[in-house]
Amino acid sequence: MNKFKLLIISVLTLHFGCERDTSYLSQLQDPSLFRDAMKNLSNIVVYDIFSPPVASRVYVYPSIAAYETMRLALPDQYQSLSGQIKGLTPLPEANSDQVNYNLAALLAFNKVGKMLIFSEDRMEKFQEALDQKIRDFGVPRSVRIASENFAETVAIHIKNWADGDNYNQTRTFPKYTILDGDRFWKPTPPDYMDGIEPHWNQIRTMVLDSAGQFPPKDPLPFDLTKGSPFQKQLQQVYEVGGGLGEEELAIAKFWDCNPYVTHHRGHAMFATKKITPGGHWIGITNIVTKQAESDFGETINAFTNVSIALFDAFISCWDEKWKTLVVRPETLINKYYDEEWLPVLQTPPFPEYTSGHSVISRAAAIALTDIYGPDFRFEDTTELEYGLPARTFDSFIAASEEAAISRLYGGIHYMMAIEEGVKQGENVGKFIVNKIQTNTPLQNDLAASN
Amino acid sequence: MQFDDISEQAGISPLPTWSNGVTMQDINNDGLIDIYVSKVPMKGLFKNERHHNLLYINNGDLTFTEVSKDYGLDFSGFSTQAAFFDYDRDGDLDMYLLNHAVHSVRSYGSIKKRSEKDSISGDRFYKNMLSEGQSLFVEVTEEAQILSSPLGFGLAVTTTDINDDGWLDIYVGNDFHENDYLYINNQDGTFSESFNQYFTHTSRFTMGVDVADLNNDGALDIFTTDMMPYDAQIALKSGGEDTNKVNQIKKNLGFEAQYSRNHLQLKRPYGDYAEIGLLTGTYATDWSWSVLMQDFDNDGRNDIFISNGIEKRPNDLDYINYLSDSKFSEFVETEKNEAKKDLIANMPTLQIRNILFQNKGNLDFGTVNTSFLGSPSYTNGSAYSDLDNDGDLDLVLNNLNAPATILKNTTSEAVQSLSISLEAPITEGAKITLYQGGKKQIKEAVRVRGFQSSSTPRIHFGLGQTPADSILIRWPNGKLQWQYGPFQKFEKIAYNPTPAATETIASNAEYTLSILPFKHKENTYLDYEREQLIPEKLSLEGPAVVYEDFNGDGKKDLFFGGARYQASQLYIANKKEGYRLQDIEDFRKDDKYEDVSAAAFDADNDGDLDLYVVSGGNDFKEQDAYLMDRIYINDGKGNFARLPIFLPQTNGSVVVVNDMDGDGFQDLFVGSRSIPGAYGLSPHSFVVKNNGDLTFDPIWKNRLGMVTDAIWHNIDDDPEKELLAVGDWMPVMVLDRQADNTYQMQILPDSKAHYGLWNRILAADINQDGKEDLLLGNVGQNFKWQPSQEKPVYLYLDDFDQNEQLDPIIFYDFFGAPRPFNSKDDLGQQLPMIKKKFTSYVKFSEVENLKDLVDYKDEEVLEIKKMTDARSLLLLKSENGFQVQPLPQEAQFSSIQDFYWDPKKEQLFYFGNSNQFVTELGQQTANPGAIAKFIHDKNGFEHQEFLPLPIQINPRKIIKLDDGTFLLSSNDDYVYLIAKKIPNE
Repeated sequence: MNKFKLLIISVLTLHFGCERDTSYLSQLQDPSLFRDAMKNLSNIVVYDIFSPPVASRVYVYPSIAAYETMRLALPDQYQSLSGQIKGLTPLPEANSDQVNYNLAALLAFNKVGKMLIFSEDRMEKFQEALDQKIRDFGVPRSVRIASENFAETVAIHIKNWADGDNYNQTRTFPKYTILDGDRFWKPTPPDYMDGIEPHWNQIRTMVLDSAGQFPPKDPLPFDLTKGSPFQKQLQQVYEVGGGLGEEELAIAKFWDCNPYVTHHRGHAMFATKKITPGGHWIGITNIVTKQAESDFGETINAFTNVSIALFDAFISCWDEKWKTLVVRPETLINKYYDEEWLPVLQTPPFPEYTSGHSVISRAAAIALTDIYGPDFRFEDTTELEYGLPARTFDSFIAASEEAAISRLYGGIHYMMAIEEGVKQGENVGKFIVNKIQTNTPLQNDLAASN
Repeated sequence: MQFDDISEQAGISPLPTWSNGVTMQDINNDGLIDIYVSKVPMKGLFKNERHHNLLYINNGDLTFTEVSKDYGLDFSGFSTQAAFFDYDRDGDLDMYLLNHAVHSVRSYGSIKKRSEKDSISGDRFYKNMLSEGQSLFVEVTEEAQILSSPLGFGLAVTTTDINDDGWLDIYVGNDFHENDYLYINNQDGTFSESFNQYFTHTSRFTMGVDVADLNNDGALDIFTTDMMPYDAQIALKSGGEDTNKVNQIKKNLGFEAQYSRNHLQLKRPYGDYAEIGLLTGTYATDWSWSVLMQDFDNDGRNDIFISNGIEKRPNDLDYINYLSDSKFSEFVETEKNEAKKDLIANMPTLQIRNILFQNKGNLDFGTVNTSFLGSPSYTNGSAYSDLDNDGDLDLVLNNLNAPATILKNTTSEAVQSLSISLEAPITEGAKITLYQGGKKQIKEAVRVRGFQSSSTPRIHFGLGQTPADSILIRWPNGKLQWQYGPFQKFEKIAYNPTPAATETIASNAEYTLSILPFKHKENTYLDYEREQLIPEKLSLEGPAVVYEDFNGDGKKDLFFGGARYQASQLYIANKKEGYRLQDIEDFRKDDKYEDVSAAAFDADNDGDLDLYVVSGGNDFKEQDAYLMDRIYINDGKGNFARLPIFLPQTNGSVVVVNDMDGDGFQDLFVGSRSIPGAYGLSPHSFVVKNNGDLTFDPIWKNRLGMVTDAIWHNIDDDPEKELLAVGDWMPVMVLDRQADNTYQMQILPDSKAHYGLWNRILAADINQDGKEDLLLGNVGQNFKWQPSQEKPVYLYLDDFDQNEQLDPIIFYDFFGAPRPFNSKDDLGQQLPMIKKKFTSYVKFSEVENLKDLVDYKDEEVLEIKKMTDARSLLLLKSENGFQVQPLPQEAQFSSIQDFYWDPKKEQLFYFGNSNQFVTELGQQTANPGAIAKFIHDKNGFEHQEFLPLPIQINPRKIIKLDDGTFLLSSNDDYVYLIAKKIPNE
């Protein structure tokens, strides 16, 4: 692979070498440029308070825009996703041979990101700094203009495609009306927020045939009789919550990933904001691409595969949540066992079954395993900036297992939602990695022979 | 005015501990005022002392001795304020201790929690043992049935005789989701918490309370303060009313409705209260603490002083969502003081001016924008007293981070006043009635009022230019005492009851109330969960009622339309009194229809009355089979069978019958209320021709408006009746049949300036001049929207974000500034572009019009509707059109749903209330029904009396039965019968 990369660079160098300083070309191969852009997007997602499913949408379209652009420089290495994911058509051709596709990929990423987030000023500020960096690299004006123009074309192309995913239409679909009966989900304290995205299953999937393609087992029948299978799981949440060890508490907090937790102190109220569960896996991907010394292309490839897995996994999970409408443990424990009982984590505002973190973590782990292998040990520092120490995992699957069980420790899920959620994520993840191929067959063969 | 601070010499504790309320009262009956201070414990902060409330006994030489422990009043907990009064008439002052919860409101719990006890934050009641010969207070919280739970977040307390039985009751204002409490004194050492019997809703974050007669009707009214801003920009960037969802959740948990605005509770003759803060414009005064209602300008009317301002505004939405941000995540982990300090330091600050609403009579308090007093500050505790003995009340104000201030009252001495000092061992709770040239004023000798303060025990009356004739004192022990004038400016009145004096209690209950067995059961459908920007639910119509003889026995029978999933019912009049239920299979089969209106007519000219039933409901899509209207054919004996034909399929609202073409068959107009899912757009309404062979043709249909009611009525010169229709966002529309059998639709010219949210239209010759006038029932003025022709409420209808869903966007005038009706959060959910365009609440708060909001010019909008009048009106027909007059003020307290005109007595019965509006607008429960009398001299109506209806009911239709009884159908409620009391009963 390294040999191949060298070849490309030398070809490009030859082409321009006689007239200009082309050191910028290697500078534009720096994968941290993309990681920084992704980190910036993640920061804005946190600031703007996107809910977990909507956040997955904000990650996926810019990533695909970057991927489809980047691969134009490496057509032999990476295949287009058009034809592999729903509704995506090939990018229009650039009308200039001056385009630098790495630069255009970065620009397209930011452009599509800007369309999806709210705080455009934050994206603009980041883009201005990037522009300065690009000028400092000595990228010729003609290249900058051509790349910018092409990035704009890409962004419009992706935007038009994204517009067909039913997101705008679902904004005006009905809210969830609270149903009588203990078994149905109810808004939870302290803010009793409306249920998030009850119609997310109507969002167009990327790879899955439909939102309901991998239905989990039915949840345990609602039964509060002592000793019933459901009651046992409820009791388990109640008891685990009362006796958490230090490690379990650390695990619960590490994987909290609640984008908007409100705190009340008398009249004073404020919110703490964090990355979403999907954002956490974007963070892991960041760490992994660095640790694996992935090049520019592979970095984008990894993020793109992960964000596609996250996107479809959320749709699959939300489909189940709003079909089964299972009540959160907090609601039942407060009503029947202990009015003062508080889960370690704030209960997020949507139905319980299946656990979103379980589903999406497993799907993302499978996507990463597919690229970096089953024994990739890494130190997860994603939560450092939120005051939580790093945790080390022997594999992506191990991390996803911990993310799943953390929801029991956190007091926000029954075991059934975790176990079935993991299975659901496994099904979604495997289906996706089998169905879409980003590396060209040749590359796959090379990788296999190495 | 000079004051010396003698605290230290007097023996008042100099420790800088945390004190809340202070009460000045003689608790040991020695004629000297003692001091009780309510405190919160700050263990560990000051010399490890565990702080407790303090009782300073007056030694009579300007020194005090702290004896709280000896008296058993050294309570240590979270005390707000104490109120002393003699609850058991044993001759000494007992104490209600108001405490507040300290836990954060994490979950609402349920009202079951009220029965729990909380030892440091639950309220308490103490009995004074002085009369039993002990210098001691004994806690009797439980025996007295006072709630002492962790739910109560007491910020305000006052005592007042709510039910006018001579015994003081207690009003407790609670912060947050717990309702305020009203304790009625049972006269046996116990109290009953009776909120439900007196109020339909209260302020949510109640901070201050005062009680006084605001309309000089001899009944005491209640005012509570809250924190709604009057500045549109501040309002748009601050947290406001609960969401509809949270409102529903609280209701499910058992809590009563609360709104985050000041409440003016006006006492009705039946003892309960009509809340008219919106009508009086006193509902929004920003972050308000104390309220003191006294006659500050000595004109004989009580004014309203409100202290204002909080240094740190924690409900600033930018602060909550963006400024506090994640750097405080460590705060969550550790609650570190540093982080806490940062949190507080970052809170926005804003000084607000205090407010004095001057009472101009007729419940006119001016506007908040012209009622400021003093300069911007953070004023909380406040007290009144005539400090310089110049005959008017001055104000003492506590300010945060600034010295306390005295506002000297400079009212002209040309207006008179009377200040009374009562002299008796116990004066607290005395009621003083002052008679003055045929008018009267009442005051209660209660000194704990407003917020954490106590005011002068002297009773102050402003007299204007009229001297007082006499005074009646009802002492706390119930004894009466008359005093006759002339009076000096300052009068001392010693206890000396007048033998055999009695108080006449006016009784005006001329009507009695009973209940019919039919109960309308509205299905639960929350329109705003499908259309989240709408201001009202359209699914609370009905029940339909028809009163006709269906079986030809000469007695009229009753048809009631059911709500969805409730079959309609037919009650056949018995030979004797009463009705029997007739089982009709087709009614049962059709129970899924919501029957909102019905009319009896002879569809087939066979001499009996058939039924046309209008199907409504906002939950099914237009053209749904269950929105189809139905005709039921009568077999002459009151058995009905549905006619299998196609009829209009809209969310209908009304049907009225008329043989418009004179062919001998009765035709119909069918009005429609809405297009379900597209609030604001006009659905089709229909003229349906009866062909005489049991076929019917809709010969005219048009988008007339959101029609609620219609009448056939001749308003022009030709002999034919026109169709007049009213509805939401409409003027009066006229449908006139032309010679060629087409219909011309036009606005009734005199209604052009009166686009309302009309519920009802009735034609009657009110002034008996031979010309039929019109009565129009509107939403009323006790409403957040107070539109005028100059400043309408606008409803913009378009798909502003091109996602194939209608976005109804409303702008209205809020204290002089245009503002969007929906919050940024609500708008952002339906139109994500709002979130993108306004990345802060500050930016959003600058929005003044549609263009600012969604970049649409008015002329680009699909449809713009408006509302220019909220008042219910009388349109008097004259030679050249109609002369428009508002109905009396009382008729504007609530929406009017139906009228009954009694031409003999010239009385207008009107009925109203509505629960249809979203939380942001609030429920309308201030006037279920009343009578107005037509006064020929004024050529208009005057309020005559309220009817004895439960204040919270939602009447829909009134029918006068043949025996003179009124039948009142109510939404989601029973059918009520109102009968005139037989004299001397």
